Amino acid sequence: MAERASERLLRLLGMIGYLDRNDGVSVEQLAEHFGVTPSQVMADVDTLWMSGTPGYYPHDLIDFDADSYDRGEIRLTESRGMTRPLRLGTREAVTLLAALRAMVADLGPTLDPEQAEVLRSTLAKLTAATGEAAGAVDVRLAVDGRPEVVAQIRRALATGRRLRIRYVNASDVTSDRDVDPLRMTTSDERSYLQAWCLRAGDERLFRLDRVLAAEVLDAPAEPHPGAGRGATAEFRFDLEGDVATLHLRSTGRWVAETVPVEDVRNLPDGSFEVDVRVGQRAFLRSLLLQAADDVLGVRPPEVARDVAVRARAALAAYGPLAGPADAPADPTPAAG
Amino acid sequence: MPEQIHPAERLLNLVIALVHTPGRMTKEQIRRTVAGYGDAPSDESFERMFERDKDTLRDLGIPVATVTSAGHGDDIGYRIDQDAYALPPLELTSAELGALSLAAEFWQDRSVRADTSRALTKLRAVGAGAGSSDLAAGLAPRVRAGGDAFPPLLDAVQARQRVRFTYRAASTGEVRERLVEPWRLVARRGGWFLVGFDVDRDGTRSFRLSRIEGRVRVVGAAGAFDAPTPEQTEAALLSWDVRDERTAVLALRAERAEALRARGEPADLPDGASPALRAAVADRDLVRVSYRATWELAEEVAGYGDAVLVADPPALRDAVLGLLRVAATLDGGGPDAGGPPAGPAAETADTTPARTTPAGDTQEAPRG
Repeated sequence: MAERASERLLRLLGMIGYLDRNDGVSVEQLAEHFGVTPSQVMADVDTLWMSGTPGYYPHDLIDFDADSYDRGEIRLTESRGMTRPLRLGTREAVTLLAALRAMVADLGPTLDPEQAEVLRSTLAKLTAATGEAAGAVDVRLAVDGRPEVVAQIRRALATGRRLRIRYVNASDVTSDRDVDPLRMTTSDERSYLQAWCLRAGDERLFRLDRVLAAEVLDAPAEPHPGAGRGATAEFRFDLEGDVATLHLRSTGRWVAETVPVEDVRNLPDGSFEVDVRVGQRAFLRSLLLQAADDVLGVRPPEVARDVAVRARAALAAYGPLAGPADAPADPTPAAG
Repeated sequence: MPEQIHPAERLLNLVIALVHTPGRMTKEQIRRTVAGYGDAPSDESFERMFERDKDTLRDLGIPVATVTSAGHGDDIGYRIDQDAYALPPLELTSAELGALSLAAEFWQDRSVRADTSRALTKLRAVGAGAGSSDLAAGLAPRVRAGGDAFPPLLDAVQARQRVRFTYRAASTGEVRERLVEPWRLVARRGGWFLVGFDVDRDGTRSFRLSRIEGRVRVVGAAGAFDAPTPEQTEAALLSWDVRDERTAVLALRAERAEALRARGEPADLPDGASPALRAAVADRDLVRVSYRATWELAEEVAGYGDAVLVADPPALRDAVLGLLRVAATLDGGGPDAGGPPAGPAAETADTTPARTTPAGDTQEAPRG
């Protein structure tokens, strides 16, 4: 069995406490509650039944009602005083509390009052029970998306319906797609709709701030076996794309930290090179325009040329506002 | 009794025995009477088994106390005090347990997930029914993984213990040792940061966890510095938490930059717009968007090329123009080069003009 003894011990102790508070629980309920299989529950109950104080005579042992057991129901008749729940460790408490705090603060306002209240009461109870002060860990979630879009997505998820969305991708191309929503992920960086895209015939991650409109359709969302497992799915490599190599100043480190890079090579002078594999040229162009200040070089040359041509077109669009090229515009703007 | 006892069963029997012992149990008594320890084939293997079990229990939050008794000479006994490990009274509804499941899945680091799933097992003992999936329906709040540096830094923050680590500063590219009094771990758009007091530099600094190289080592004793005051922490976090304080007017080409359009609302040119500005944005849609930091919006706008122009404020426009001028030289051509690029296309360091950083933006969210 792959499970560690320590994890199993915690569950065994937790089960005594739970069964002491809940008289007569079916094996299936216990399994669901503790997130294990029914056969594991039976193994755990058998272990508890043989455990107790030294001597291990019948009156020393944890005991269950045998008739109920035969019916598949677990009824604790002797706990040997082991019913007190375990205190949380510092790290256990701090990490759970930090998550709850972020959920209350950032997700709460977007939820039904009833759901928000559940988050608040959970946070209050756990804070009281652990005595951990706020402070060590501080997470903010980036809740983006237009409220009406978020509301439609949430309704589709709650009712299991298909969605039609209008989406603008990172290359600024807008399209309408029918999707079967899997989940809405809110991270510290941004919010995503994870969905099965019928057009792509594959799972896709849509940035909520790029979903321009969303409409719940009458059709039910279909199951897509295997989809949605990648709960943490982030930006994926586009294996079809070409590799471009960017030579960046140290201040451009964010590029390596925000886009899918295949390799990062630190150079002695503090600058570094990254290999980026991008399917859509427009995305790379946009990235390089954003990172222009930090770019020392780009390979292959046609990528650099493409970016430079775009930049010159943009400067031309400003007309006289762009000013003379060799005299930077007034570097001391009014205080913001 | 089966011949081979599962280690979890041995641990359970040890806990029950040490909770129930009237005073204490010696090692000898444990070995002789507690189910599972009789399996030990030798003194050494019993010792190892018992020490390991004590460590395991301590990690789980069940401290095994050592009791020496004058009446029994020098020998050592053990007991477990339930008050030392018990959670204060707590009852959780099934919906609250569901919220806790979401909170446990919030974390992506394997080691933190081990902590939160332990906590969840403990809390399930006091929860009613299986966790409700109502709140969880399709919701997945997440924070990115903090990496290897996260657990030791969290422990050091809690213990108020100094840490030493090797850090690659993005601003200079310099790699050097830092000695830091860690105050708080902060996740904001873009990453995990340690906020603390840099001892050598004698000032508050923030460190991006992904730029810490190698191991984080604790230095010296716990409680080595005072916890930061709320004012200190607030000041250190100010730059991250300023948001949506300013607005800009952008001029969008028709049917382009839909993401910016969706975020903003229709706008007009500012009063007193110059004829040059009016000419540049003619035939474009004007949209007002709010923003936090000039550099942040400037980069986003520059990314759109000629599809988006800045009408207002001038500081933002200057920042965008600065980026565009640099980008225009990427192929070796100048900002005004009209024809095919001249010169080598690859490395352009020599022709890159210095960055024009907008002044007066001292409270901006740092890139980190």
